[in-house]
Order: sequence, then structure tokens, then C-alpha cells
Amino acid sequence: MSIKRMLAVLTQEIFITRRSLEVTIDLFFFSTITILGFGLTSVFLTGQIKGASAYYLILGLLLWEIVRVDQYSISVGALWNIWSKNLSNMFVSPLTMTEYIGSLMFSAVAKSLLVFVLLSLITAALFKFNIFSLGLGNLSLFFTNLTLFSWTIGLLLLGLIFMYGTRIQALAWGLIFLFQPLSATFFPVETLPKFIQPIAYLLPTTYVFEAARAAIENPAINWTYFVISFVENLVYLVIGLWLFRLMYRRSKETGQFASNEG
Amino acid sequence: METILEVKNLAKKFGTFEAVKGVSFAVPKGKIVGLLGPNGAGKTTTIHMLLGITTQTSGNVYYFGKEFEQNRVEILQKVGYVSAFNTLQGRISVWENLLVFARLFQVKDAKKKILDLIDYFEIKEILSKRYWDLSSGQKTRVNLIKAFINDLELVFMDEPTASLDPDIADKTVRFIEEKRRENNMSILYTSHDMEEVTRLCDEVIFLDHGEIFAQDTPLGLTKRIETAILNLTFDGDKGKVEEYLKVEKQDFSFPHQYSVTIKTKEKQIPKLIFGLSEKDIWITDIEVKKPTLEDVFLHIARGEKNVN
Repeated sequence: MSIKRMLAVLTQEIFITRRSLEVTIDLFFFSTITILGFGLTSVFLTGQIKGASAYYLILGLLLWEIVRVDQYSISVGALWNIWSKNLSNMFVSPLTMTEYIGSLMFSAVAKSLLVFVLLSLITAALFKFNIFSLGLGNLSLFFTNLTLFSWTIGLLLLGLIFMYGTRIQALAWGLIFLFQPLSATFFPVETLPKFIQPIAYLLPTTYVFEAARAAIENPAINWTYFVISFVENLVYLVIGLWLFRLMYRRSKETGQFASNEG
Repeated sequence: METILEVKNLAKKFGTFEAVKGVSFAVPKGKIVGLLGPNGAGKTTTIHMLLGITTQTSGNVYYFGKEFEQNRVEILQKVGYVSAFNTLQGRISVWENLLVFARLFQVKDAKKKILDLIDYFEIKEILSKRYWDLSSGQKTRVNLIKAFINDLELVFMDEPTASLDPDIADKTVRFIEEKRRENNMSILYTSHDMEEVTRLCDEVIFLDHGEIFAQDTPLGLTKRIETAILNLTFDGDKGKVEEYLKVEKQDFSFPHQYSVTIKTKEKQIPKLIFGLSEKDIWITDIEVKKPTLEDVFLHIARGEKNVN
């Protein structure tokens, strides 16, 4: 594995991000507008509801943006090269798929961290909700688990794009939202219908949102939830990597990987 | 002679369709080998397999004596690829694109190298332009620079002069010749421009329906077509000419009253000229069109198998 080649991919990511209005809109504009909407709703709810639950919306959204931006950066990061018919150029250089994926993951973390900090500052300044009051320890653990989950989803989507081409590219934006209600992002898990609750607990993100809501009133770290979430994440990531490898191999066997270039 | 690329029984099946049927060939050091064939012959699939972006169903590929799959990173450090059909990252500038590839190949003194190549191809003015804003000719030149940014031992060139105007196409061909001479570089070349192939290639491999149909030097291949075209302008009785050519069982036509076009074997030409002279036909002009690589290509594309 070559750090220099990974830096080359990251350089390209920076150039694309700097020059693409779409990235600015998808990452920063969309996130900011959504947080303003959710923030105002939370302000309204604090006047109607007593206690921490008024902040569930804004808290859920702030953490959800880590998942969305992370996964978006991995899947769409590769799509920029597929749309430009540049992917095969990249892979007829010494660049390996491991280096490429590693770079996309790193870039995803950097972008999601940037968006998270920006949104946290907005919510602190405009809506008097300081997510850092949950404690840096809690936030680091939440960030770790949410990132691992979004890497898994990002990898699976990337594998599907390699295998089926751009005809399924809409999933790169849309699929992640399937996990938003299932993870009980904005409400306690008990709100979900009974038969869905066991499914929710199969998702590592559910434990993060549950722990985050509890931390509004008591910022002590819920290690049990962290460990369950982390173990689930590791299992899914290993399965995700295995499936990605299968799909990547299959796309090279069917010729789809090369024909993604038109 | 040292072999740079060796391909052994390379085959590719897509479902039940056999795109490439066990081809074997080699590219020696410093040689330009043309890989030609009609559309659908299996050229692109072969190149994709040789570059590792499509997996072969069977067969082996060796570069510099090493198995490709096991030594991919080391091998691709010395192999370049330029194609008129894929492009660089459209959203970023020419300079940014070239810088990314220079870093992927870990090129030393990358900026100088890029600028030298940019000077050669006369595209300094487009350095800061986004790649997707370039004309197709400019894109092709940038692709060439990308391919030659590193010190290469082998380059795959898939129709590198497609969409270039004749002046730039000639400059590109000269650049390829120069690079080959300077660095003793090997090239696997595909093109539909048969004049270009004849000029550049030491050896030509014709693929058809996934198989190697013919493999020889350009001259050797053209010699396999025995038929030449003999155009004669004459002064005399057209009827006598017609009568003589019928006796000699020639395939002929009269484009004008005093000229005849004869499709004949090359070795028959002197006999026909002398024969007509003996019939009191005064030959005023002789033109012989020997078979070209284009004729070989057309024979193969049209399924005329008499080039073997």
C-alpha cells in the first residue's frame, strides 16, 4: 500500500470538491438548510414540550449528517470518475483498489467531520443547542460507530455500482435514508412498531442514537451500547468488505468494470 | 530478443459468447506491434484483459517475464495506456489532471516533465481549462501527455490519433517514433488508419471473431494478397484489348474508351503488357496499384479468407 498514491487520490478529491458546485450543494448547502429547518422546529417544540425530547430532532439530524456525508463521499467519490470515464485510467496506473477505497474513506471522514463541526456551530449559535455538552468522549464514540456503518453502506453501494453500472446510481443518494427511520434517528426505539424494533437493534446506528438521546440528560458514556454497536459494525464491515470484493471481482469478469467507461 | 509482453492462450467468454478465443502473441522490446481487426474482433476486450480491468476466462499474461496478476503494481508502474475513447476527470483542469497522474505514478520532477510535454504538444494555453471544455483534439493530446508522463517500457495506444487534425496526427506519430527511438520503448498499437499502421508497426496482428487471423510484418501481410490492380491507358483497338484479356482469362473493365483496369496477380503484369504490345496496342501509361494493409483489412472485414 502506497501513501503517496493515496495522496494522489485525495488530491484529486480536493480538486473535484473545490470545482464542483454539486459537492458544495450536496454537502454544505443541503446540510445547512436542513439543520435550519430542524433547528426552528426544535425551537418551536421546546415551547411545547418539557425536557430533552424537544432536542431529539436537532440531535438526530446532527449525527445523521455524519452517516449521510460519509456514505455519500464514498459512493459519489467514485461516481465522479465513472461519469468522466476516468476510472479505468486510474486503474491502469499502479493504484490498487485498497488504496483507492482507503483514500475515499479518509476523504469521507474529513468531509463529515467538517460538515459536523459547521452544523454544530450553527446549532449552538442559532438554536442554543450545544452538542459538545454531550462530552467529547461520547461524540468520538458516536462518530466512530456512525462512520464505520456509513463506510459499510458506502462500500456496498460502490460494489453495486461497479457491478451494475450507473443505472443504479440513484441508490448512492437514496439508499441510506432507508436506515434513518429504522435506526430511530429522531425518536426513541419504542416509537417504532413492535415488529420493527428487533430489526432496529440489528443496526449499529440505533445504539448511537439511543445513547445520544440519553446523554442529553446524563452525559456518562454508555459503554454497553458502544460495544454492541462497535461489534455489530465490525461484523457488518467484514461482510461488507467481502461482498465488495465479490462484486468488484464479478464486475471485472462480466466486463462491466471496464465498460463503466463507455 | 527480449520480450516485454507475452500473452499465452488468452480467452474471454461473456456467458456463451466467446469474445477472445485463446490468443497468443508477444511484444518484443523496442517494437511496435499493431493489433488490428474489424469492430467486434476482440481488440478492446484483449486490451482490457492485458491491463487488468477485465478478468480473462483463461490464459496467462506476462510482462517483463513476470506474471501480471501477481506483480500488478510493479508492472503498471512501467506500462502506459492512451485511448481516444476514455477521458480524464472532466471537472478539474488539465494541469490538475496531469498532476494527479504524475503523483499516481510517483514521477520525479513531475512539473518539469508535464511542462516539457505540454510545450511539445503546443497546449500551454489550455492548462487551466477544465478538461470537459476541451475540443476532442485537445483531449487526445492531453491523454497522450498523461500516458507519457512516466518513464515507460510499454504503451498501449488505442487509436491515439482518432479525432486529431492531420498536422497534429502527424506530430503525434512523430512523437511516438521519437519516444520509441529514444527509450527503446515497446508499443501495442490499434488504429483504423492503415497508412499510420504501415508507417509505425514492425509487426501486425489481425484479430477476427476473437482469433488471430494473420500475424506478420505489414509488408508480409500485403504480399499475402496476390491480386494487384493494373491500370493501362492505350492507343489502339479496344476490341483487340478485350479479346486478348478474355483469352488470358483476366478480370477487367474499361472505365474509359482508351483505358482498362485489370485485376490480376502481380507476377502476370509483365506478361500482359508484352502481350498487348504484340497485338499492336500502343500502351501510353501504366499504373500498378499493389495491395495495401487496408486491402488486407478489408479482405478480413468482408470475410474473404484468401489472405492466409
